[in-house]
Amino acid sequence: MKKKWIFLGIIAALGALQLTFLEYFKIFHVKPDLLLIAVVIATLKFDFRDALIFSVFAGFFKDCFVAGTLGLNTLLFPLWCYLIFIITHQFTIEEELFQVALVPIVVILHNTVTGFIIVSQGAAVTFGIFLRITIVEAVVTTLVSPLIFRITKPAFY
Amino acid sequence: MFKLEKKNLIILVVTCLVIVIAASIVTAFRAPFLNTLNPPLSLLTLMKREFSGYVFYRRNMIENERLKKQVDFLRSQVNLSTEIAQENVRLKELLSFKQKTPYRSIAARVIGRSPDSWSSVIIIDKGTHHGIRQGMAAMTYLGIAGRVVEASLFTSKIMLINDPNLGVSAIVQRSRQEGLAAGTLGSNLIMRYLPDGADIKEGDTVVTSGLNEVYPKGILIGTIIDAGKEFSGLSTYALIRPAVNLSNIEEVLVVFP
Repeated sequence: MKKKWIFLGIIAALGALQLTFLEYFKIFHVKPDLLLIAVVIATLKFDFRDALIFSVFAGFFKDCFVAGTLGLNTLLFPLWCYLIFIITHQFTIEEELFQVALVPIVVILHNTVTGFIIVSQGAAVTFGIFLRITIVEAVVTTLVSPLIFRITKPAFY
Repeated sequence: MFKLEKKNLIILVVTCLVIVIAASIVTAFRAPFLNTLNPPLSLLTLMKREFSGYVFYRRNMIENERLKKQVDFLRSQVNLSTEIAQENVRLKELLSFKQKTPYRSIAARVIGRSPDSWSSVIIIDKGTHHGIRQGMAAMTYLGIAGRVVEASLFTSKIMLINDPNLGVSAIVQRSRQEGLAAGTLGSNLIMRYLPDGADIKEGDTVVTSGLNEVYPKGILIGTIIDAGKEFSGLSTYALIRPAVNLSNIEEVLVVFP
């Protein structure tokens, strides 16, 4: 039970970091998605039910600070959690390197779906900006993820 | 009475002359003498310094540590002063703008930014408790910044003008061409629905048209940096560089309607 509360605190801390300090570490106007990394970690380290709760919490946290009225992240984060859960049941992923490799896949999927939904709502987003956000965010999030994996490790012992 | 004899007088005069000549000779020789002594004196001083360095090693080490701490403290003080000075300049400009502007407004500090890359949002430290309501315009002393999209008791969410979901009714100041300025998630805005052959050129200033009730008329949006035809070929678009640097806003004014 204690682990779950600690991880909930970690999600809140990562979210707060994303709202404030990460602004200084933007690359091409794009910053890493720490909450999505938290979803990947939650799915790999907790059972499905708890991971789903963490995903909803992370998505809700993110939706509280974005502009759209639709809770897109609250819907999508549990979906990515479910997909990771299915993958990890097909293949055993123990190596941290392979766990980190899940991050860019999830980020690309998340940004592609989000981008399509935003464009379909009539927003003037050019293809260049769409690609920039999708690819650069996948790269920077993947680069940051080993650090987050390492930081959150003590919470599971 | 003391009587000076001639012989004694001559001796006195000669003695005085010798002293004066000797003194002038000494002055003339002083500089070269000092120059000659310079290298050995420097060497001796160096040796003395090195010697005292070894002898007073502990005292110097303690003093060095104390001075290092002092330097760190002073460096942090300088940083703090620079930060305060910059904040002071910004707030002065904001206050001066607030006093000059005819609109009733409230100043707020930015406390957070959009967590994702698909929207351009800032969170401010004022909310409904301070009179802020959804739909109010936000600006800086440089121009329009965005619109309040959500207001809670002590915080509000402002959608910036470079968010693709925000459109501002705009007008080109010189030719009075009207259009809709919208965000692109990039650093520039796009002004759409300009008629084919619209009188616009690079460097034209774009301001709010006042057609939308949210934004008062005549607030600076930015300057046109490029123009082109829409894909349909029926209308023209213009790219606008916003007057406000949206990536580093730290304070805003929320305008009361």
